[in-house]
Amino acid sequence: MSQRVAVCAVAQIKNQADIWYQRFQSMLFECVEAVIRETGVTFDMDKGIRNIVTCSDDVFDARTISDNGMTDVVGAHYRGEEKAAQDGANALGYAMASILSGHDDVILVTGHCKESQSESRRMCTNLAFDPFYTRPLGLDYLNAAAFQARAYMQKSGLGDGHLAEIVARARQNGAKNPYARDNEPVTKEAVLKSPLLADPIREMHWYPVTDWAVAMLLCCEERAREFTDKPVWITGFGSCMDSYFLGDRDLTANFALKKAAAYAFRMAGITAPQNAFDIVELNDSIAYQLPLWAEGVGLAEDGRGAAWIDAGGPDKQHVNLSGGMLNGNPIMLGGLARTTEAVLQLRGEAGERQVADAGRALAHGTTGPAGQHHAVIILER
Amino acid sequence: MTTAKDNCFTVEGKLALPYQYFAGSTGSRFLISLRDEKKIKGLECKKCKKVFVPPRSTCEVCFEDISQNWVEVKNSGVVTGFTIVRYEEPHQPVKPPYILGLIKLDGADTPITHIIKGVPLTKMKTGLKVQAVFAKNTTATILDIDHFKPMAEKPKMEMGYTYDELEIGMSASFTKTISETDVYLFAGISGDFNPMHLNEEFAKRTPFGTRIAHGALPQSLIAPVLGMKLPGLGTVALEITVRFKAPTYFGDTITAVGEVVEKLEKRRWVRMALRWTNQKDELVAEGTALVMPPVPLPE
Repeated sequence: MSQRVAVCAVAQIKNQADIWYQRFQSMLFECVEAVIRETGVTFDMDKGIRNIVTCSDDVFDARTISDNGMTDVVGAHYRGEEKAAQDGANALGYAMASILSGHDDVILVTGHCKESQSESRRMCTNLAFDPFYTRPLGLDYLNAAAFQARAYMQKSGLGDGHLAEIVARARQNGAKNPYARDNEPVTKEAVLKSPLLADPIREMHWYPVTDWAVAMLLCCEERAREFTDKPVWITGFGSCMDSYFLGDRDLTANFALKKAAAYAFRMAGITAPQNAFDIVELNDSIAYQLPLWAEGVGLAEDGRGAAWIDAGGPDKQHVNLSGGMLNGNPIMLGGLARTTEAVLQLRGEAGERQVADAGRALAHGTTGPAGQHHAVIILER
Repeated sequence: MTTAKDNCFTVEGKLALPYQYFAGSTGSRFLISLRDEKKIKGLECKKCKKVFVPPRSTCEVCFEDISQNWVEVKNSGVVTGFTIVRYEEPHQPVKPPYILGLIKLDGADTPITHIIKGVPLTKMKTGLKVQAVFAKNTTATILDIDHFKPMAEKPKMEMGYTYDELEIGMSASFTKTISETDVYLFAGISGDFNPMHLNEEFAKRTPFGTRIAHGALPQSLIAPVLGMKLPGLGTVALEITVRFKAPTYFGDTITAVGEVVEKLEKRRWVRMALRWTNQKDELVAEGTALVMPPVPLPE
């Protein structure tokens, strides 16, 4: 049985506002082919990929069993395939567990989403709510997050100015990442003037509509060098689900994220997370989440997210140098995007944004209204 | 064939799926109470001492079966969080902008989400006490509560400045134009039908050369200052002294000013300097008043 699981390759297309010229099948196929090219992996039933874990969302693909449209693309016919209908970080956790259990040696993990094909992301996420108590009231991921944003701003002293700074920084960082969505650079002033969508969330506080696909090859420790000279090791993983109803949760307590992080830290043997990472990628789909999640993973003190921003925490601790989710990744794929960036950094392939000698990274994913579910992945060189 | 945008064909799609969701036995009971009795019910975990609304048959904390522990919670509660939804979407039950709130009903431990109406958007705040407004026509859904509205507050008795709130130098004024009608009404009120106020031909022969207002008429304009502004509602006037300095002609605009000049600690009374001027800034009268400011009413 394997002790560690390696990420042997990551392949992604550029995040874009509207990939009108490709179906999501073609988007992902490019990534799968790139992984095969890079690693030489085959679909041989003894030595190659016997199992594939995909990640996608039924409602955003507007078909049930959304993996069904992808099985041929990912080479899943005549072999195993499972879909994670959660943040892609869970797909990685699942693949990791499969390998650690000895059930599989080599697993292909993929994710795809074309947010541009849906008329409204808010309509899509309204369907994530139960039909009895919340969906009829018009709840969606945006206004659900607004409850959390207000409560957190009240608790932490985070202001509109902080949020503007977070957005401007995300776009500056995104501009240095060739895989990041091309966005107009914005000033703090422009963000402050951007219209309110659901108070206190402004239009520019919310990640833009994005299309993207990614593929990764995971492998057991013993065989990793068959596919790469630069394996990146998954040394920790944890996930946790909070209560469903918003009213059941303490929206500013980071309950699920702290649990997920604690599991991952225990597995990786990390005791002081504040200084443990060279790279941190947090899944900030809305600006206020960057400091909130930073508290959750232990980078900032509880309730002190605003002070953490003021003290330049994000730059000092190399948080979201990729631009983050805020610069644009599709829903569900945030955790895979964070992991992809972490892998590139640990392999020394992060170009202009490369952190010298990066040895350990934290990647985070979240799904569900106002961060109901969280997953934390620790990666090491 | 090149992939030009002109060559890219999109197929319009729309998932519309008629469907009946069984609300479950627990959910059914909740919705039936709402529909038939206009009562909001929750389920209580006696072990965790927690009342869940919306109800769940099992406590998520201790996994106890709580499906029989129905309790009625109040139709009123307090707002623990809110947002103002400003974008428009087909899935919304009302036209934006509208307020979505987290409302902790009295007797429940888990806030529910619902619409709040009847509050100006700029005045909305957490901590607001609200009550359910039930829909006129039932749909047997959560929208049988049409929305929540602010609890009617007990009207608070308005009150002027108390002795402790008054500071020397505080002042207030009242201005009014004195018309012929005012003078005639005042003649009737006081019984003073002196022709110098009422008869122009008579008045022409007086030193003023025309009719003038009763001296007490501009003087009375200090009453709204003392009684309604400073100290204000609840004030008792104890003494007013006035010296008339100039006549008030019909059409003159008189301003009466009161200013706090002394606080009499022993009796908790206040002395005020009074001044009346006209539109030409001429001094019409001056004097003093001794007043007893309002005393706070018992709750």
